[in-house]
Amino acid sequence: MDLLEYQAKELFREVGIPVLPSQTIADSRAIKQLQIPYPVVLKSQVRAGGRGKAGGIRFVENTIDAIAAAQMILNLPIAGEYPQLLLAEARYDAEQELYLAVILDYQRKRPVLLGSAQGGVNIDVLLEQMQQVVIEDEFSPFYARRLVYLMGVQGHLIPVITDIVGKMYELFVRRDLNGIEINPLGIRDSGEVMALDGKVTMNDHALARHLDLMAVVGAAIPLATTQEELEDNRADNGDSEEGTEGLDFEAADPLDWYNREGNIGILCNGRGLAALTWDLLTQAGGKPRTGYLVGGEHQGKILKTLPLEQQLNQGLERLSAMEEIEVIFLHLVCGLGGVERVAEAIANVLQAPVNPPQRLIISEDRLERPTANTLRILRQNQLEQTSRPTAPSNPRRSIPLVIRLLGEPPSAIQEALSSLSVHWSQSLDEAIEQTVILAQVAI
Amino acid sequence: MLNWTGKSKVIIQGIVEPLGVYCAGQMTTYGTPIVAGISAGYGGETIEEIPVFDLIESAIAEVGMPQLSIIAVPPYWVLDAALEAMSAGIRQLIILPHGVPPLDMIRLLAKAKATNTIVLGAGSAGVIIPGKLLLGSCDPQCYTPGKIGVISRCDYVTDAIIWELTQAGLGQSIVIHLGGGDIIGSMVEGWLPTLEQDKNTEIILCLEQTLCGTEAMASVLSSPRKKPLVAHIAGQNVPIPSKSKESPTLIASRLSQLTPHTSTALAKKNAYQQAKIPVAQSPAQLVEYLRNL
Repeated sequence: MDLLEYQAKELFREVGIPVLPSQTIADSRAIKQLQIPYPVVLKSQVRAGGRGKAGGIRFVENTIDAIAAAQMILNLPIAGEYPQLLLAEARYDAEQELYLAVILDYQRKRPVLLGSAQGGVNIDVLLEQMQQVVIEDEFSPFYARRLVYLMGVQGHLIPVITDIVGKMYELFVRRDLNGIEINPLGIRDSGEVMALDGKVTMNDHALARHLDLMAVVGAAIPLATTQEELEDNRADNGDSEEGTEGLDFEAADPLDWYNREGNIGILCNGRGLAALTWDLLTQAGGKPRTGYLVGGEHQGKILKTLPLEQQLNQGLERLSAMEEIEVIFLHLVCGLGGVERVAEAIANVLQAPVNPPQRLIISEDRLERPTANTLRILRQNQLEQTSRPTAPSNPRRSIPLVIRLLGEPPSAIQEALSSLSVHWSQSLDEAIEQTVILAQVAI
Repeated sequence: MLNWTGKSKVIIQGIVEPLGVYCAGQMTTYGTPIVAGISAGYGGETIEEIPVFDLIESAIAEVGMPQLSIIAVPPYWVLDAALEAMSAGIRQLIILPHGVPPLDMIRLLAKAKATNTIVLGAGSAGVIIPGKLLLGSCDPQCYTPGKIGVISRCDYVTDAIIWELTQAGLGQSIVIHLGGGDIIGSMVEGWLPTLEQDKNTEIILCLEQTLCGTEAMASVLSSPRKKPLVAHIAGQNVPIPSKSKESPTLIASRLSQLTPHTSTALAKKNAYQQAKIPVAQSPAQLVEYLRNL
């Protein structure tokens, strides 16, 4: 997840990377109370690149100009994202601009230092001059010096820029970042340097051990991404918390695969199984629309029944709420040993009285250690308790359900569900065929 | 790659965790010699009749030196658990959990390299030699003895695909789960020679899934190969999200792989085709290919 510029700069201050005096503004009228002397720069706080070219950055000389510019910026979406804030910053004239970055390269499995002597908005020139140094072992400033030398930095600036790269690396490790970028780093002939713009990308897996940052990003996440994106990537039902990109407090995890012509919803334990299921349905002439994952906390290993029931319930509810979905294929592979337990969970969910309130209960052994998952569940609880305490849930639409487990579910359970439109199958091919037939009948 | 003798001993770090308890049960039933479980604060207890110790050190004093550790602790504790194991002299690690922070994995792998330790995972379901040995969290009931050696860079869908082979009467000599994690230790290069030399393995099967890893296993396979190879890729019909949630806005993303899983089913398929390795689009087709070899 990307931090906004002002959040990135707060982290820069933490390690002593120089940044300009600045102030965040949420309302154009608040600009009258600006503490920074004019001239100032007003910058739209969105994650998209190319803000300048899109009109999201304005230089202003006085309050009257500033109010008008602020109003304009706050009402200007950039790549579909409306800013919730703008950053007012002192204006800075630099003699030279550099580009610096520390990133994690997944191909090399190593951190890499990057630098270009041509920082700024001209990306082609910037890339042409890009230098790289791979951190092969423990970091030491010589790696930074090597980069700075490759960039062609000379004289008294060598130790200054080396120091900045070292601080960036410190932040990178301390905050578990995927990447940190300063572009541009402004340089004056006096040797003074200033991080004029910055980007910080957090690692989602590590986010939960940086509670302060979680609070920061949680508070500033835009409420929804653009409508097209929602339609393109996944099928949501418009609950307000659903668009919170990167921090979906869902128990069942939505797939980001979406086919707007599809009419089959899939519910699987694990991404790989969902991929396999999607393939087979497609190859059999069916059209999957989208789906949800359950059993996420152990990549699909279903170890506990209670979370499974909650996730199934939620997944079924979400898929049923999509009008276009005519059949749901519930495909759980949990070994032969788990069939009875899983079938029972399915029966409990399907037979439950009209949507009981979903209370997520966290077992003690997970409560003590915050992981991304427990925090997600905790947050989910909070949302449910605070934002919709008495929200009545709509009764689930009755949609044909095909269930495939690896073994034979107990006959008592099959009988108990016989009045519902539920089709059990142990055979993968049969289950796929059944799903596709039901989906075609529905058309 | 796997250094295993009849006298080898195994420990489970994080045995009191749900995943640890589950694996302890499965492996004990399969006959894996688990001599100890490690979970600080639970020393003196037993799980599945396995004695639990607070430290690896105290376990070694009681039960002797283990040759392999299965790590089932929560993701944020994986680095520490692995460092403890390596410090105690254990040179084979299987890391089950997914979601280990990448910088932790990098530190872990640096230490592993320095100590000559083999690391499977993160996000690995382990290794199974059907009928003989289970090391990890894969479901043994999906597997049956036979002649196919399998290397998987998938999540638990491996169990589901192998189950289809098992039902078709196609058994496996050994199945290695490299892991579905963002950064994994042992790669296909390390295991291929083992499979090529293994006299019980006649065919090698590579299992892949879309958007798992940064490249296809085929891109690093050397030729000529001694044994026939077949691949299956899950997700060949899955639409590629128009814009990934994680799609990075950093300029550096134009030069480096800033996200862990960039290799699509199509890219993988091309790599296999270039290496002249047939790619099945479904388990049924895979069965057909394997039977016709």
